[in-house]
Amino acid sequence: MNVFLRELNAYRKSTVIWCASLSAILLIFMSLYPAFTNDVTAAKQVLEQFPETLRTALNISLSSFFTIYGFYGYLLSFAILAGSIQAMNIGTGIISKEVSGKTADFLLSKPMTRAQVVSAKLAAALTIIVITNVVFAGVSYLVALMVATEKFAAGTLFLLASTMFLVQLIFLALGALFAVLIPKIKSVIAVSMPTVFTLYIIGTLGDVLGNDKVRYLSPFKFFDTTYIIKNVSLEGKFLAIEAAIVVVAVAASYIIYIKKDVRASA
Amino acid sequence: MNIYLREMKAHRTGLIWWCVGMVGLVASGMAKYDAYQGAGVSIEELFATVPKGVMVIFGMTGFDLTKASGFYGVLFLYIALMAAIHAALLGSHLISKEERDRTSEFLYAKPVSRSSALTSKLLAGLTMVVILNIATLLSSFYFVDFFGKGESITADILILMAGLFLLQLIFFTIGTVAAGVVRRPKAAPSIATSFVYLALLVSYLVNMNENLDFLKYLSPFKYFDAAILMADGRLDPVYVALSVVIVVLAVFGTYRFYSARDLTV
Amino acid sequence: MNVIETTKLTKYYGKSRGIVDVDMTVTEGEIYGFIGPNGAGKSTTIRTLLGLIHPTSGSATIFGKDVTTSGPAIREEVGYLPSEVFYYDDMRVIDLLRYSASFYKKDRKAIEQRIKHLAELFDLDLKKKIDDLSYGNKKKVGIIQGLAHEPKLIILDEPTGGLDPLIQQQFFHLLKEENEKGATILFSSHILSEVQKLCDRVAIIKDGSIIKVEQIKTLLENSTKRFKLELVNMPDASAFAIEGVSDLALVNHSVSFLYRGRINEITKMLAGQDLIDFLVEEPDLEEIFMHYYQKEDVQ
Repeated sequence: MNVFLRELNAYRKSTVIWCASLSAILLIFMSLYPAFTNDVTAAKQVLEQFPETLRTALNISLSSFFTIYGFYGYLLSFAILAGSIQAMNIGTGIISKEVSGKTADFLLSKPMTRAQVVSAKLAAALTIIVITNVVFAGVSYLVALMVATEKFAAGTLFLLASTMFLVQLIFLALGALFAVLIPKIKSVIAVSMPTVFTLYIIGTLGDVLGNDKVRYLSPFKFFDTTYIIKNVSLEGKFLAIEAAIVVVAVAASYIIYIKKDVRASA
Repeated sequence: MNIYLREMKAHRTGLIWWCVGMVGLVASGMAKYDAYQGAGVSIEELFATVPKGVMVIFGMTGFDLTKASGFYGVLFLYIALMAAIHAALLGSHLISKEERDRTSEFLYAKPVSRSSALTSKLLAGLTMVVILNIATLLSSFYFVDFFGKGESITADILILMAGLFLLQLIFFTIGTVAAGVVRRPKAAPSIATSFVYLALLVSYLVNMNENLDFLKYLSPFKYFDAAILMADGRLDPVYVALSVVIVVLAVFGTYRFYSARDLTV
Repeated sequence: MNVIETTKLTKYYGKSRGIVDVDMTVTEGEIYGFIGPNGAGKSTTIRTLLGLIHPTSGSATIFGKDVTTSGPAIREEVGYLPSEVFYYDDMRVIDLLRYSASFYKKDRKAIEQRIKHLAELFDLDLKKKIDDLSYGNKKKVGIIQGLAHEPKLIILDEPTGGLDPLIQQQFFHLLKEENEKGATILFSSHILSEVQKLCDRVAIIKDGSIIKVEQIKTLLENSTKRFKLELVNMPDASAFAIEGVSDLALVNHSVSFLYRGRINEITKMLAGQDLIDFLVEEPDLEEIFMHYYQKEDVQ
């Protein structure tokens, strides 16, 4: 419990900053929604002339796109990009900090098993992510209420918002795994940034260029907003892939962390 | 010279990976072009009638994807994003690493001034930025030619790479000045990369809504918009001037703040 | 009862040697010195005992429990001070010490009181940020966090670096007190006079293996004494040709030699000399130590 509380405390300030930034992204983007709705009528007519193949390639579903869900889903991709960086920073940082800060001698000579240390740290990380998502979903709902021109289902909105949590979870687990795999992490952000942006670029490029298989490679594309809006559910296949990734990464993190030698810090 | 060489060596592996990543990005991006050509419709005209905000949401910014050049134009944003992150991380790490690794006592107990150490580090950074740029340039030439089937866009690529270079310089020096100002060595890379993220965000906002056009000066990504660069065939002097001003100010600030402040040991 | 017992404890870091077949027994209530030059394997042994690194082969027990399987239970009763101390920069001294205390089952209030007491003893400001402390003061934080919970076993890895002589003396005094209260102490060092001052028994480690374990007393008794003389006349080398004399050096009016044997023989000889000054020294551990090392090298 002490390690858990200590970590929550250590991340307090950064969590507040992250929540504020994510809310700011929401506010700024959603404030554009009214202007966007004006464009929509004109756009619909044009887009209907597009060849069917092209429309599928672009992944446009006309009926769902020009709603508040579609717009929210779009801005969500930026929030998720930011949120992923947050999650990976925490995952990598919380596990690697004792080694990089040379405090491993202190912590691991206390009467705790390493598994307990990892559990406390991951629990703290998960708590931070949950708090961030509760704030994010709450602000999303409020902002949507403010800008929406017609009624919308809160359930769909929250389901969309939940994809942020799911993607963050993957990056949290990947972060923890990287933290135990890379021997000396001097800078957390030098690990998290390239990883997150590489996967983001892969996903987005695949999207723009209409390659469906890329979806399996990039967590950013696991949960398609169009599908969610249409079916009001998440794709089971990708939930399973997500669960597999998280379980494997976390399990591997435990195993490696427990087995690892903590060498003299000098 | 010793510091310069030391930094080049310390960042060598990292730089190689960044170059590999960049070549991979260009190669895989252009490889998709093959698959895309099948559509066969010139959609340029169609797109011309779509409102800007809607276009952006599709990830289309007015490129004809049936042409290799249009394809490369789409790709360029991601190339720029990657290069910007590299530059920001590089700049902030070069300056903050001595404090982070607690080697600042070692280094500055030697008969070197902070500004001369800084000069070596900046030159090392500049070299690496150039190397990544050249890797991008060469791989772009090769793969656009390979998949482009004769369409020559050498001039376009050269212009884009010139823009890319300025973009890299901007984020590199933002990274160095962040590390020069901030006392906590670990905070510098976070600050530098948030600038990249913010700039990206602003560029999307500008794309979405014409009323926000004035914001374009805040985002270096907008200075070197591939569609405009390729259409004009040259860099916009206003943006070039703006870039130079930012870079000069940032370099000046780096020297100024880094030399003046107490080092963390 | 044996507090620490290792059997053929071996650790390789990949191919590079850490320690090889270390057999070590530390009994309850003793202060056990662990001495050797840098890189001999002192820290490797200690880190294995603490479960920070995992042995390649062999085994080790503390309080009769295996270190690889009963880590937490063992560490409940262990206090450890590493050779270099690093703590969380964002904490104040008291935060770190309370955080440290929070890991143990012992009564929190008692620990808190002891922290206050020790901080007073070492003149350490509990409210300061750790980041702002000097290295010596960080070391004091290390000592307090290691001793605050009154562990039964205190493990110290080259603990005196960065402490000024006065604090060092207080620290040794404190260790002796703890020892009298029943604590067992494992003390590693490369500074021999420290070990000489504090320890009951000493193990000498070299190249990853223990080459000698000896009572400090025996180590000192069994050895030679150093004589230093200052004479009125120029000395005559032949006068010192007595059995047991070695390392003879004549410089102007000074004579210095090592002697091992009956002291009477020497005093008889000295009676015939015209002395200005005369000094007999206990050879320090350093000389004994070199002696062991050289012997080992010859073999």
